Amino acid sequence: MASMKVEAEQYGDRKVYSVAAFNRGVAGWLARLPTVWVEGEVTELRRQDRWQSVFFTLKDPGDGSCLPTSMPRGQFDALRLELGNGERVHVYGRPELFEARGELRLRALSIERFGLGDHLAALERLKQKLSAEGLFERGRPLPRFPRKVGLLTGNDAAAKRDVLTAITTRFPPAQVVVAETYVQGPRAAPALVTALQDLSAVAAVDVVVLARGGGSFEDLLPFSDERLVRAVASCPLPIVSAVGHEQDTPLTDLAADARASTPSLAARLVVPDADELRERLSQTRSRLHRAPLLLVERKRARLDGAYGRLRALSPRATLERGYSIVRDSGRIVRTGAELHEGTHVDVELGEGGFGAVVEETR
Amino acid sequence: MTFEEAQRELERIVQQLESGQADLDDAIKLWERGEELHRLCLEKLDSAQGRIEALKPTEPA
Repeated sequence: MASMKVEAEQYGDRKVYSVAAFNRGVAGWLARLPTVWVEGEVTELRRQDRWQSVFFTLKDPGDGSCLPTSMPRGQFDALRLELGNGERVHVYGRPELFEARGELRLRALSIERFGLGDHLAALERLKQKLSAEGLFERGRPLPRFPRKVGLLTGNDAAAKRDVLTAITTRFPPAQVVVAETYVQGPRAAPALVTALQDLSAVAAVDVVVLARGGGSFEDLLPFSDERLVRAVASCPLPIVSAVGHEQDTPLTDLAADARASTPSLAARLVVPDADELRERLSQTRSRLHRAPLLLVERKRARLDGAYGRLRALSPRATLERGYSIVRDSGRIVRTGAELHEGTHVDVELGEGGFGAVVEETR
Repeated sequence: MTFEEAQRELERIVQQLESGQADLDDAIKLWERGEELHRLCLEKLDSAQGRIEALKPTEPA
């Protein structure tokens, strides 16, 4: 573009530009910027046969930043992209000022659809990056008896109902706090992050289940969004990710503490089985009932044992076996030499006794 | 006292009684405490009504 002289009027020492001159000047500066690739989602696509250009807004799926974009209609049609709103594209173009309105826009020279392969590659790069940061190393133990379970789910009824049913069937006294939010589309990731923060701030919530039914690869993309993955990884509470089906592995699955591929598996992870608890309680009670009797029996057995030993050691038991004790004037006689003919002795038997006179000694 | 705490104490009491370590006077007290804990556990399981509350969502800024 030819270098442009932008004329200003002089009012005393003040230089004043007309709007047209200002816009022309800025347009001239913008025109010097290089041609680049920009990635975004197509929204507000407007194409009419009588228009010279096709217009759409390129939207950043991350924070929603917008960039008006235009492309000559003939060029757009020649690409045969059949673009629809919400599709991810790469646009090759340069910035341009629409002078009549003072609006910045991207003038597209080419557009390429951002395909599944690109999504997968981007996801893989993100996975590597987050993995290197150590975001996928959580595996904290889940509480066995959470006071309250936080359930973060979509406003699609099915996933919510399935998980709630599974939880309350397994553990009827369960206390559940449900946060519903968008789980699909560009608003989903930030909405999920906010809802997760809100849920984890609720008093007595000890564990959070992140639940979403199955869906297409694109449907599940918010669950691989960097913001949500980071929020899951830094959540102070343990998180169970129950997103999609067995074959899906959104990045939140990797960042969460545990993963459940079905609602009933999720329930098994976050609440105890009430029937099992009842059974165990009843067994414990039977043991409690038997215990005092057992204790008394054990004490008695010990007492009996001690008494038996005491008895075995007493001379009485020896006498009962047929031995006798001979006493001479109260003194126990141990050898024949202690006696002589005619000595009166006392003989003690197992039962009773008698007096005797010694006839001979040996 | 939570269900978990009550259950844990109850099982400890049963073990203590079964091991025969306790003396008879203590055994009575332990048994009574065990009964109380068992009742508490059952109450927690049966009378606590499950509750599902909805968290009002904050609109993302």
